[in-house]
Amino acid sequence: MNALSSALLVATLAAPLALLAACCIARWRTSALALQWLAPIPGFCVGVLNLTAAPSSVDLPVLGFTLRLDPPGALLLAVAALLWIVASAAVWRDRSPDARFGVSWLLTMTGSLGVFVAGDLVSFYLSYALVSIPAYGLFALADDAARKRAGAIYMAFAIFGEAVLLLAFAALAAGAPQAGARIADIVAALPDSPWRDATLALLIAGFGMKLGMVPFNGWMPLNYTAAPIPAAAVLSGAGIKAGVIGLIRFLPLGTPIEAAGDALAVLGFVSAFVGVALGLTQRNPKSILAYSSISQMGVIAAAFGLALAGGAHAAAQDLAFYGANHLLVKSALFLVIGALAAKGTRLRGWPLALVGALALSLAGVPFTGGALAKLAAKPQFAGAWASGLATLSSIGSAWLMTHFLAHLDNSPREAAAETPPAIVAIWPALALGAILLPWLLYSAVDDVAKALQPAALWDGLWPVVLGAGLVLAQRRLDWRLREIPVGDGIVVYEAAFKRLMTLGPGLEAADARLRQWPTAGVLFLLTILALLGAGLSAR
Amino acid sequence: MIDGAETTQGGDLLVLAVLLPVAGIIFSFVLGGRYAERVSICLAPLGLVLACAVAAAVAHAGKPLAYAIGGLPPPLGIALRADGISATMLVAVAIIVSAAFLYARAKFDTPERIKETRSALTFWILLQAVWAGLTIIVLGGDLFSLYVALEVMTFAAVPLVCIDGRPETLVAALRYLLFALVGSICYLLGVALFYGSYGTLDIALLAQKAGPNLVVWVAASLMTAGLLAKTALFPLHLWLPPAHANAPAAASAVLSGLVVKGSFFLTLRIWFFILPTLPAVGPSTVLGLLGSAAILVGSALALRQPRLKLLIAYSTVAQIGYLFLVFPLATGAHVWSTIGWSAGVMQVLAHAFAKAAMFFSAGLLAESLGHDQIGRLKGAARALPLTFVTLGLGGLSLMGLPPSGGFSAKWLMLRASVASGQWIWSAPVLVGGLLAAGYVYRILTPALGDGEITLKSPPQRGREVIALALVLIALALGFMPPGFFDFIEIGRPLAAGRPA
Amino acid sequence: MTPAVLAALVGAALVGLGLYGLIVHPHPLRKLLAFNLVGSGAFLVFGMVARRGAAAGLAFDPVPQAMVITGIVVAFAASALAVALVLRLFATSGRVDLDPRVWTRPDDDSSTS
Repeated sequence: MNALSSALLVATLAAPLALLAACCIARWRTSALALQWLAPIPGFCVGVLNLTAAPSSVDLPVLGFTLRLDPPGALLLAVAALLWIVASAAVWRDRSPDARFGVSWLLTMTGSLGVFVAGDLVSFYLSYALVSIPAYGLFALADDAARKRAGAIYMAFAIFGEAVLLLAFAALAAGAPQAGARIADIVAALPDSPWRDATLALLIAGFGMKLGMVPFNGWMPLNYTAAPIPAAAVLSGAGIKAGVIGLIRFLPLGTPIEAAGDALAVLGFVSAFVGVALGLTQRNPKSILAYSSISQMGVIAAAFGLALAGGAHAAAQDLAFYGANHLLVKSALFLVIGALAAKGTRLRGWPLALVGALALSLAGVPFTGGALAKLAAKPQFAGAWASGLATLSSIGSAWLMTHFLAHLDNSPREAAAETPPAIVAIWPALALGAILLPWLLYSAVDDVAKALQPAALWDGLWPVVLGAGLVLAQRRLDWRLREIPVGDGIVVYEAAFKRLMTLGPGLEAADARLRQWPTAGVLFLLTILALLGAGLSAR
Repeated sequence: MIDGAETTQGGDLLVLAVLLPVAGIIFSFVLGGRYAERVSICLAPLGLVLACAVAAAVAHAGKPLAYAIGGLPPPLGIALRADGISATMLVAVAIIVSAAFLYARAKFDTPERIKETRSALTFWILLQAVWAGLTIIVLGGDLFSLYVALEVMTFAAVPLVCIDGRPETLVAALRYLLFALVGSICYLLGVALFYGSYGTLDIALLAQKAGPNLVVWVAASLMTAGLLAKTALFPLHLWLPPAHANAPAAASAVLSGLVVKGSFFLTLRIWFFILPTLPAVGPSTVLGLLGSAAILVGSALALRQPRLKLLIAYSTVAQIGYLFLVFPLATGAHVWSTIGWSAGVMQVLAHAFAKAAMFFSAGLLAESLGHDQIGRLKGAARALPLTFVTLGLGGLSLMGLPPSGGFSAKWLMLRASVASGQWIWSAPVLVGGLLAAGYVYRILTPALGDGEITLKSPPQRGREVIALALVLIALALGFMPPGFFDFIEIGRPLAAGRPA
Repeated sequence: MTPAVLAALVGAALVGLGLYGLIVHPHPLRKLLAFNLVGSGAFLVFGMVARRGAAAGLAFDPVPQAMVITGIVVAFAASALAVALVLRLFATSGRVDLDPRVWTRPDDDSSTS
């Protein structure tokens, strides 16, 4: 890697960390937070420069971390950095949110950028923790019961996912004792590890929690509904892509592993369809987008699963492109919700067409970035079953996004106030950018001309038409689905948690009894006997 | 002549290290009054320099330092020895005790026109006595000196609990003393049995002679159970929560951070230095199970405490459980034992610094707000930012999130448990982390929320900085170079290779 | 049954009785007496270890005797400290009870003191 790229790679993390250090000094805090939009610029530059370059690493001396950039990582880094720049500049342009929001934003940004460049297990885990945990401060510190509940559930899943991933990483490291600390080397040793299946199960579970795969999907709708518009945009855009990069980095895609691959594919498809089904019951556009994220991440997961089962190494770049497109579109959609709520007028004419193209690009409508994404992911869905299911999920997405368009004027009251004025002013540019930017990036994946062939165009058009038609049919038949509370399956988890909490007073009473002298004394003698017995029985 | 029987180069440093706090006690007692405080503050940096010198000497030599007292080698005389883990503990003790001295100046100073106050004089002398006891524990080379050192440390720690004279603290101190005495008398019985069998108590000599016979098992069980009572491992933790929660903050920090580690250190000495060749899978498993129970029960109880200092005390009960997971993970001469050993030592250090910092912060919080009820902390972070940053970072280490020493310890424990095929031990480690996240969440979330809080008195910046410095050391422990893990293996029997 | 073996058995019995007393009796002074009983038992065991370890020309091994003397001093210090605490507790509160539930103040809503 040439010197410029190395320096920019280090600066990707150094810049936000320097701003964080500046925040520690009270006098500089406001300016440091206002300048946050500058921090992702090195990341953006190094991502763009390395879109097609060979993978390369930089070892940091004192900290013992390795930074690594390969084409999938560079692609995701570039678009994520762009999102952070735009969002930060807009939020801090006309107002200064309070320091807690600002520091949480900066910490989440650091983690989000770091996750794409981390090259060894510890720095990846650290970045992953940074992108998950400080996000709490973006929405849950207010005195609102709904937000507090969303925050608590979000934290529970974040911490639980971290724990599962830590065990997965320990199993990875133990299975590759000679490999050193670099992720690439360790994962290369995974197919031969004695604990391969357990490790893969843990990795899928851990990253699945981040991606909102069934049965861990309840937190995402609650989170995006509770979060203010800018926070929802960055979390749904850059935040969950940490799960995508995790799957890219940690699944050994070169070796065909049938069992794990098929399991991941099944979970992915189930999430894709459950996401659509539950999303159709929602009225709040933010929740609909959340369920759409669940569905889209399910598609990505299914593609990963099929790639793992088939041993397709090139899937990483294709699916990174799919993820990058989703990042741009989803964050733009959240910002558009806010902008339209602020404007207050009904959508018609060309704004309607623009928003419609943006929303339906997730279903693959032609000439949008979404169509390219669908084309990029197509090689993974090669088998008969797989391609059929993929087509069905496109139809489902189109149905869901048309449903979204129909409810776009149903935004919550606060959405208008939460959206920065800069976003309200430039929202058409954002929407257009999200649709067109993937065309510039597609050269990293494949030949652009292929996307413009008639077969590809028809392939993208008919599921969208069918899905949109289903919404019209739904209206004509007046078939309204009953609204399910946001977070669906979460109530099961909450009930189980309440059950667990009832153990508390019992435990406390037991402890009080243990702390009486006679009990403690007898236990002391029993400890002596236990140690003695254990020692003698080994002879 | 066996290894470690003669005075090696640099051995004089060990005697100086032992004499320094003892000289401090004598001078404090003789000069009395406010000079006790001045003597302590003067000796603290000297102690730190000596500790670093010992560590440097051990690192340079690559093998343990030894000093035969009076020129008489064991088995006739007794020896002081400093190996890798001793030197590390010596430095950690010096840093935390110095921090406690500086922190306590505000509360235990002798007022202007008064010649001497009972509580001030007692506090400074007792804290130096704890320091002296800990120094001999880490440097002592034979079991009986270690017994004496253990008793010195306990008798100095007990009055620290009740130094404010309230009835509740007196009861807590009395329970602590009586339970600790049970522990030490069982330890003494074990010592008698060892001497009866082998005619010597020197650690290096015993290591050569001891074998797996009935007397050794009985003695080891008695001594271990006694030390478990002093370390407050579940289910023998009855004395710890009230004692640590009601002591003054500086004393709590030293009690939670160092005093319980002293008796744990002796358990390590017995099993890893005297009896490393014994087939100790059974007792290791028993200790591991008790440790796991401690983690789960301690963390669960911490979740239910209404007072901050009690929550931190129960968190200590849980973190002590992590310490005992070193036994199933490091016993024997396997390739993964080194990882387990590193995990145990890292946990000792990370917990010592993080817990001391948290107790300091809790003390500052209690003084500023007038109470330490968690339910009334709404919006407190705005009023006490530095204190809550320290509490948050300390919580980070307790939860085991990077970058921190606690994460390093947890990561090494998980790697050792997977590599050794004992996946079962990863469960308490992970569940403990989840529960720790729960009680840290309990403290931080209301504090970070909206709310107005009026302070009784503003916190002193200097004392906040001391707490912050300790927690930053706990975080820096997460970045230890591989050389550190080689260093702590110096002098350990059956040390093989270094962790990957 | 030589005197040495008898003494060692008596020592073991004292240890057992002392441990029983420590566990069962609630009053701190009784616990202290029980602790001293255990201590005496331990020292007897030490004494018999001394007898067994006698080298040629000496009736007893001097090292365990030195340990017993140190142990007696330590036990004495421990007893003095415990008695001082009990006296102070009685002086400040008028009662001596180790049960934590007795000392929980009404405004303290935790079950631990």
